Amino acid sequence: MTPRNSEELTTVGKPLSREDALDKVTGAAQFVHDLALPGMLHAAMLTSPHSAARIVHIDATRARDVAGVRAVLVGEDLNFRLGLYMQDKPILARGVARYQGEPVAAVAADTLDAARAACQRINVEYEPLPAVFDPREAMSKSAPLVHENLHTYEYMQGVFSPKPHSNIAHHQKIRFGDVTKGILDAELVVKETFYNPPVQHVPMETHAVIARTLPDDRIEVHSSCQSPYTVRHLLSVCFGVPHQKIRVRVPYVGGGFGGKAGLHLEPLAICLSKATGGRPVKLVASREEEFNTLPSRQGLYSTIEIGVTKDGVIKALKAEYVWDAGAYADYGVNIGRAAAYSGAGPYRVPNCWIDSYVVYTNKVFGTAFRGFGHLEVLWGIERITDMVARRLEMDPFEFRLKNLLQEGDRTITGETVTAGHGRPDQCLRAVADAIKWGEPRQPAPEKTHRKRGKGLAVLHKAPAMPTFTSCSAVIKLDEDGSADILVSGVDYGQGTYTALRQIAAEELKLPVEKVHVTWDCDTAFSPYDWQTVASRFAYMGGNAIIEAARDCLRQIKSVAAAALNTTADRIVCQDGRAFVDGDPSKAIPYEKLALGYTFENGNSIGGPVIGHGRYIAEGLTHLDLETGQGLPALFWTYGAHAVELEVDSETGEVEILKVVTALDAGKVLNPKTCRGQVVGGVVQGLGSALWEAFIFDEQGRLLNRSFVDYKIPTAKDVPRAIEPIFIETPEPGGPYGARGIAEHPMISIPSAVGNALHDALGIEFRELPLTAERIHRAIRAAKEGR
Amino acid sequence: MKMHTIRLVANGQQEEVNVPAGMTLLELLRERLYLTGAKEGCGEGECGACTVLLNGKPVTACLVLAVEADGCEVQTIEGEAVNGELSTLQQAFIDAGAVQCGFCTPGMIMSARGLLSRNPNPTKEEIVEAVAGNLCRCTGYEAIIAAVRQAAQSQEGCRDT
Amino acid sequence: MIGSFEYVRASSIEQGCSLLAEYDGQAAVLAGGTDLLVNIRSGIAAPRLLVDFKGISDMAQIRADEQGGVAVGASVSLNALLENETICQRYRALAEAAQSVGTYQVRNRATLAGNLCNASPAADAAPALFVLNASVKIESPRGKRSLTVRDLFVGVKQSALAPDEVVTAVALPAIRPHIRTKFLKKQRIRGHDLAVINMAGAYNTQTGELSVAIGSCAKTPILLPPLDDRVQEKTLVDKLVSRLNELAQQEVSPITDLRGSAEYRRAMIPVFLKRLLRELLCPPGASAQVGAS
Repeated sequence: MTPRNSEELTTVGKPLSREDALDKVTGAAQFVHDLALPGMLHAAMLTSPHSAARIVHIDATRARDVAGVRAVLVGEDLNFRLGLYMQDKPILARGVARYQGEPVAAVAADTLDAARAACQRINVEYEPLPAVFDPREAMSKSAPLVHENLHTYEYMQGVFSPKPHSNIAHHQKIRFGDVTKGILDAELVVKETFYNPPVQHVPMETHAVIARTLPDDRIEVHSSCQSPYTVRHLLSVCFGVPHQKIRVRVPYVGGGFGGKAGLHLEPLAICLSKATGGRPVKLVASREEEFNTLPSRQGLYSTIEIGVTKDGVIKALKAEYVWDAGAYADYGVNIGRAAAYSGAGPYRVPNCWIDSYVVYTNKVFGTAFRGFGHLEVLWGIERITDMVARRLEMDPFEFRLKNLLQEGDRTITGETVTAGHGRPDQCLRAVADAIKWGEPRQPAPEKTHRKRGKGLAVLHKAPAMPTFTSCSAVIKLDEDGSADILVSGVDYGQGTYTALRQIAAEELKLPVEKVHVTWDCDTAFSPYDWQTVASRFAYMGGNAIIEAARDCLRQIKSVAAAALNTTADRIVCQDGRAFVDGDPSKAIPYEKLALGYTFENGNSIGGPVIGHGRYIAEGLTHLDLETGQGLPALFWTYGAHAVELEVDSETGEVEILKVVTALDAGKVLNPKTCRGQVVGGVVQGLGSALWEAFIFDEQGRLLNRSFVDYKIPTAKDVPRAIEPIFIETPEPGGPYGARGIAEHPMISIPSAVGNALHDALGIEFRELPLTAERIHRAIRAAKEGR
Repeated sequence: MKMHTIRLVANGQQEEVNVPAGMTLLELLRERLYLTGAKEGCGEGECGACTVLLNGKPVTACLVLAVEADGCEVQTIEGEAVNGELSTLQQAFIDAGAVQCGFCTPGMIMSARGLLSRNPNPTKEEIVEAVAGNLCRCTGYEAIIAAVRQAAQSQEGCRDT
Repeated sequence: MIGSFEYVRASSIEQGCSLLAEYDGQAAVLAGGTDLLVNIRSGIAAPRLLVDFKGISDMAQIRADEQGGVAVGASVSLNALLENETICQRYRALAEAAQSVGTYQVRNRATLAGNLCNASPAADAAPALFVLNASVKIESPRGKRSLTVRDLFVGVKQSALAPDEVVTAVALPAIRPHIRTKFLKKQRIRGHDLAVINMAGAYNTQTGELSVAIGSCAKTPILLPPLDDRVQEKTLVDKLVSRLNELAQQEVSPITDLRGSAEYRRAMIPVFLKRLLRELLCPPGASAQVGAS
């Protein structure tokens, strides 16, 4: 695991192309959308038109009469509750519907058309109930309760704290230092509020699952998911079936971004299969269902108060984060926790008080989303740092630099920053240089109504994961001496498998063409991995691969030593061959060792070479429920963005000219895939910054649930230039010194854009998205002196 | 429900199928001809994941009825490689890092193939216009544009479809 | 299946129209399908029969007429329209409008006639065709007639067509080189989008006549009433914008919807009028040729 000099590396650090790209460019790659099993049925869902309603009566008789219908299920049939951190979710709404779009009934039929037609014939009688849509209102005592029985739900004890008889699913506290004194000592105090609306992941492949039940309570599932073992575990808990009886298989996955991190359509498909006597049932979300029924990213209201000295030193930070969890808070509670412990930004904050509330509302619920609350929190934090700097008449660059965490500082959870944490200051300097921060602003050519501006923002994130998160890998040699990697982290586009392949090739001393990652994950064959989220898979999987590869080498060397009549410590491996150090002429190729070695006389030793490795996050602790103190972070990744933009002051339209993104990656395992992550993440971040938001009507119904009115960036909407910069301060515990960077490119992009807009227009924006209309309205108001 | 017998040529292969009027070309390709490369991303022509070439022109198959394709030539991603040999476009996508999750990739390549067939030497703006109807959430499009440029610049930029 | 309907390929215009008549409002014309099939899928429309006229060669051509104008057959796709040099050179506003519709893939199917018959107030082709004084040729079992494109738009998604009628062509009057036209569209993103507002203008540099139409701001696209006086090329654009804006604000009645608020739409009218007029009144620079890429 010790980092090595780049010059010595043959594969790691090289821009290797993805192996999986071949299947993808030929159409051979099969996603769950493409799979069919013999006897498979198709499922459709009926969803609630009301945000909050009692389900008075469901009459499905006419549905059952539709030709080809094999099963009809309603909530009353399914007495289960689901949840990883908080078990608050039924499979189908039971007794009450809690959001418009919530599945209320489902049908499995011979064809999708029959299933849909049958759903249309299910008669549901609703009694609308009082609903609450704003999480701040939902916190008040008089608000209608989204979950009346919150106090009866199971949840991860010692980590989360739901407040009974309220809409508060979790309250995370950070109490570090003495914030009251800190604010008093401050010479300037600035308090601001900010807002992030809910948005959707928009994976190009919607959620999809094929489920099949077998005799003796066995379950088999093909799922477009990020975490097969979590799916298995949650199904085990939900249905009370031992893990061993549940098999989860994951083929190619068309994007996840956190939305496929947990359990979604699987339980419903399983129940439908059971109801049909074990027929495979395929349930695929339409795009409308992807927007309206499947989860989103939580909205966030932030109130941040920051106290500084006259010369720009942060003395205290107080924040209240009110998360709009929607109707179910399973993942939401962990986001509320994780974002809180990161919730002051990568700064030295000696006194910090954070209250992070995860609050139920009657809207489509939130789940994990790339960044896990950090983009939302840093929208406020990185905007207020700019605002404070300006009030002090200080350069926002200088202000940040002055306060960025350094070696020896303590974070707001009491963790001490070491040299191996990474260098946020280098990231900031790199982007400021690249954007020519200090130089006077160039006016927009020719057109005076177009104004240019530059903005900076920093970011940090550690993997948000439980203290027991672990990962494992198996490497087996093939008959021809090549190596197969088995892991159950999922590569849903990030490119992690390619990095693992490179690490394995480097460690096994094999040319990379002879190393393959078995693409499909299957809990029957692939060894355990917690979840493919949190930017942790390359790090933890990489370490597991290194251990597995070294295990293989031990076996190879031991047999080679016997074959070459020496001791294992004198065996060197290179280019897929083992030989005595100094005598490569008598090398034994791996293929002669892969299944054991046979001497000339026929004696055979050894056996099939199979190496295993594992990695667990060691030394992490829970956060104290009262103070939030503890060690939650496996590693931190720091970064910074600089954005240069041009805004049309007549229409409010923004064009992003340049984005420079610096991340302290520790070690760039593959420059091609790392660049892909940055460019993709920046563009997704711009979506959040400029265009994306769920729009609800006064009854809490989602209005924009198709691409017609939920606009994501197209090829015409990208910046003129995106420049990724990778700083490489080795991460002591990372494979070859690498840290995770998957989520980070997106985090703080809206903040940098907001800061650049102030530079261009002199207007402070506090709400996202920064649409042309919002900007136009603000320009108009500023002109009229409002 | 009346069935229509339609004949079309899919990737150079003669096909004859009986379809109801309401079946889309996308459903025909995926469910009857097992050409699952074209994907359903939205079902309403907004995302481009189902892009195929209909008589050489890129269209969103989800909004073409199967019956409308009677007598037509359809090319899908499965017809892009010839005798197992990748086209320069496919190879360029791999080399440029233009493929991440891969779900948008078949549609992207079909749009690009349509472009290079009618315009072997496109400008960057023309490439953007040709693929702007293909949504991608993973790559940020930069590598995709680069791949199409690369393919156009190499010798075999234009192929007879 | 995208819907449950029957489908017929009309063998002639007469045969198709007689089917439309027979189904009396329960049949629909399938042109490009990019509006109709979307509406069927979402349940907004539920015709029992789709009549496809795309096989009829008369409707599939772009033809010059004897008066020097152009008849665009109703089955001509927008990309096919954009490949036509006459359209791109002489009917610039129309080409720009066609270019702005949907995606490249959609434009290979969508038709000009379809864009109009859908009668959306945001139809991109409409403002351009209004200022070009275009009309549609209509056939039914009862005979043939012609309507100005303007008169085709009756209300939100309501056209003046009777259930047994089909548009066979969009007729563009002859246009001389001294007439400049221009189309602009305000969107939420640069990628494919519906109009927040759209706008077209035609300026006759010889007579000084100016014609402006605005879409997505009322129940139908609106043709502004003509100005009393002639507009000279040297006219101060700002003053003209002011006058036209005053007119426009009275004529339009924008709503607030997912694409924009009524207030924003009203605010964008003078902004885009200014851009439109600058293009029309200032000597044309090396304007890029509009065409299908």
